[in-house]
Amino acid sequence: MTQEFHLRLITQRAAGGDPIIRERTLAGPELTIGRSTDSDILLTDLSVDPHHAKLRFTGPGRVRLESVGGAPFLLNGQSTQRVDFSVSGGPVAAFGDYRLAFEGSEDEGAVITVTREEHEHHPSPSIFSLKAPVFGRRNMAWGLGLGIFLICLLVPLIGTVWLSQAKIYPDQQWSSGPLSKAHAFLENDCKSCHAKAFVAVRDETCLSCHKAGSDPVENATVLARSSDGGSPFEPRLIAEHAPHDKLRAATPLPDALGPKMGAVIQRALNHPTDRCASCHLEHTKPEKTVSPDPKAPLSDKPTLVVVQDCESCHTKLKMRLTKTDLIDTPDWGRHPTFRPLIMTSAAGPKPTFQRVQLKGLPLERNGLIFPHKMHLDPLGGVARQAIVLGKAGGYGAALECASCHTPDAVGSGFKPIEMERDCASCHSLAFARDGAGRLKSLPHAELQKVVDTLSGKTLSAASLSDRLRPGTIQPTAFAANSAGAYRATFSKGGACYDCHTITWAGDTVQMAPVKLTQRYLPRGAFNHGVPEHGGPGQSKVGGFECVDCHKAQLSERTSDVLIPDIAKCASCHGKTEAQTKAADDADCTTCHSFHAPGKSTPPAGHPPLETLKWTQTLARRGRLAQGPDAKHDRRSANVLQRDLPHVGFSRGLEPPVGHRMLPG
Amino acid sequence: MAQAGGQSGRVRQRTHEGFLRHKGFRWAFVATGLSVAAVGVYFFVALQLSEPPNGGSWIGYTLGTISAGLIVWLACLGIRKRAVSDGHYSLKAWVSAHVYLGLSLTVLATLHTGFQFGWNIHTLAYGLMMLVIASGGLGIWAYSVLPHRLSANRGEVTRRQMLDNVASLDAQLQEAAQPLDRACAAIVRHSIEDTEIGGGFWQRLTGNYSHCANKQALGSLRNLPDSGPDSEILAKIETLMTQKADALALARRQMRITALLEAWLFVHIPATFALLAALIAHIVSVFAYW
Repeated sequence: MTQEFHLRLITQRAAGGDPIIRERTLAGPELTIGRSTDSDILLTDLSVDPHHAKLRFTGPGRVRLESVGGAPFLLNGQSTQRVDFSVSGGPVAAFGDYRLAFEGSEDEGAVITVTREEHEHHPSPSIFSLKAPVFGRRNMAWGLGLGIFLICLLVPLIGTVWLSQAKIYPDQQWSSGPLSKAHAFLENDCKSCHAKAFVAVRDETCLSCHKAGSDPVENATVLARSSDGGSPFEPRLIAEHAPHDKLRAATPLPDALGPKMGAVIQRALNHPTDRCASCHLEHTKPEKTVSPDPKAPLSDKPTLVVVQDCESCHTKLKMRLTKTDLIDTPDWGRHPTFRPLIMTSAAGPKPTFQRVQLKGLPLERNGLIFPHKMHLDPLGGVARQAIVLGKAGGYGAALECASCHTPDAVGSGFKPIEMERDCASCHSLAFARDGAGRLKSLPHAELQKVVDTLSGKTLSAASLSDRLRPGTIQPTAFAANSAGAYRATFSKGGACYDCHTITWAGDTVQMAPVKLTQRYLPRGAFNHGVPEHGGPGQSKVGGFECVDCHKAQLSERTSDVLIPDIAKCASCHGKTEAQTKAADDADCTTCHSFHAPGKSTPPAGHPPLETLKWTQTLARRGRLAQGPDAKHDRRSANVLQRDLPHVGFSRGLEPPVGHRMLPG
Repeated sequence: MAQAGGQSGRVRQRTHEGFLRHKGFRWAFVATGLSVAAVGVYFFVALQLSEPPNGGSWIGYTLGTISAGLIVWLACLGIRKRAVSDGHYSLKAWVSAHVYLGLSLTVLATLHTGFQFGWNIHTLAYGLMMLVIASGGLGIWAYSVLPHRLSANRGEVTRRQMLDNVASLDAQLQEAAQPLDRACAAIVRHSIEDTEIGGGFWQRLTGNYSHCANKQALGSLRNLPDSGPDSEILAKIETLMTQKADALALARRQMRITALLEAWLFVHIPATFALLAALIAHIVSVFAYW
């Protein structure tokens, strides 16, 4: 029996529906497969060769499929060029898109079902849209959004709470700008200032490094905290302008609508406008302020802004502060007259003072007897004595102010009067000579020691003159027995009598204590060192001399207060150059520093921060490390040396930028 | 007929009012007014403040609040456009306000920054906002110019017809190549099987199809040595491939214009989401570290 190939050609209809099935039988033993139209099995796929393969019976139910031109085909998924197989197992050969499925037939031939896989896809017009080739917009959007939310918000939030010890600083990205040079060492440690999340930076955090107290040990602790916290600079210690509660109550809302609403809203939202950080701004571009010293730019410090100027608080103050002695100063023209602090009594452990208006011609009770007029009279006995003392004695002419008043180290004021230095040239305290012939002087300022020194002494007169001379002993006062010498010293003509108010309780001498006022205007500062002010050695042509302000030559009474009133200041300050050559601003801060109202505000600028470095500071003081253990003690010592609480101001560091001038 | 068509075209032009000129540029005036007011306030008030211009002054907070509110409202267009309605608050009015108020943000938010920029979340939010606005600006350009180009390119042919043309030419190629030998058939197969009509994002935007399979096949075909019996078939195939190249070019130009029309949204939308996240981070961080 001849083996035959039974072909079933199945074609899918383009429009769908039942496929077309055509069947035909080909006699064996061989048939051809290919794209050529003369092929027995015609496969119109271009990947099929025109004469691709031959199929041949090799036995009952067995065939050989063999490539003609060397082009491979697949049998059961395996690529091959020649293969013998049994048709009974249902093998499938593949040529391009065509599948030839084999089955056995009753005549031991083969049934071959030919189908074509239709994987031709027809693209839809949607491929014109970009959505087709691009990763979905929605995925991109959510991915980006959630990514930023995670990295920029959640991680820093979590980091600040749980990872505060870690060396990565995810919250750095929240910094809105660099810190000033002074605070740059805190750049990575946001929480050093932003201590509590959602709570504005509080003064406590600033004061932890800047608070000036009256206790030196406490101040030393504050400075140590900065050093231990990594600050390369020594912080300035700052005092409050006034007690904070008082300050808050005294501060009105800003005048302008915008700032006023801003302040109200900020206060309502727990963002007070009277914090350190309200005026001293960080994370902001430094203002381009021209610093007097280019080596010490103000941009090294936090930007200073004025939230309230002086006059806005010092106007109608009593409406906001029920208990205050402060008089309003709405502008320079209405600055109150001076009310110096006048000593009402020098008695007791502490002298008592009272603020009195100058125009009331107040009298001071400091216990001293010292008529300025007598000492400054060019024709008087004092002048005569000074001439006699001669230039060798530091005089040689009638006395002038500088004969007794010595400038202080800075030159802005004067040293306190000391009897031995400033008076003893004329008012000798000598009472005897020792064995070597040297003069012995009474101890000054300690009455009991004077009494003890004189008691039991027999003093002798050695001079022919009754007049007191420097380096001589007054004869009449001591030319008596001891009891007489004691009484004579404190009596008219005695060494103490001219200057001290003396009373007797029986034989016991009593002397009114003397305390000299060093500062009459402790709420403001006056710098004698300004050339125009005519201080010692500074007087400038056109400037003042002592007598212009202090009417000492006319003062017959010790109790006269010789400081001038503000009208004298106003003869230059607040005037125009047309009015006076020495015209100058009338700026509150010239005499009143904000953080230390009793001090003046030095000129703008400050020493370069480098000079404030701890090591250099210590080196300047000759206290460089002898060992790490000494560190803390040294610092304490440094603090103790200073005139706290105004450490910073005394070094010329007060920030003046932004303080506004008073009108006029 | 032509005259009738022309008339109807003119009528359509007269009645059509785009989102840009909606209600006589009402929102353009509002946005300009807002911007001018902000600039005025900045230069006449903010610069007089004692503190340097920054987002933390009262003017900074005001500008920031307005800007943040605007950003959220502008982003809501994505929700609004899915709710179909008309009347006073029609979508066109929304889009018009969206465009002009969005442009005014460049002024408001820039003034809010006080011109202080840095490598931080705040400047990131600002940068993303500017990216969104810039991409939106591209969108305005695209929507005002490209629809005409699309229409001109298409002529009377629909997109479906463009694809069908290519498919039809492929079928003809398939048919015509049947008698060819393996090598020649491979060339035709390359054109049929490997030709990609669209391509990727950049390919569509640039319209660079130098590696198009049909083009390569055409080149190979022309480089074939003269073969006597098949030359007639090859000539026919070359004609078909040239026709296919034209059909492809038409479809691809259509795709390129469509891509330009849509590309800005692939920046605008994801950048908007990123902006909203950065905005939240900006606001929260500012108040966390107040």
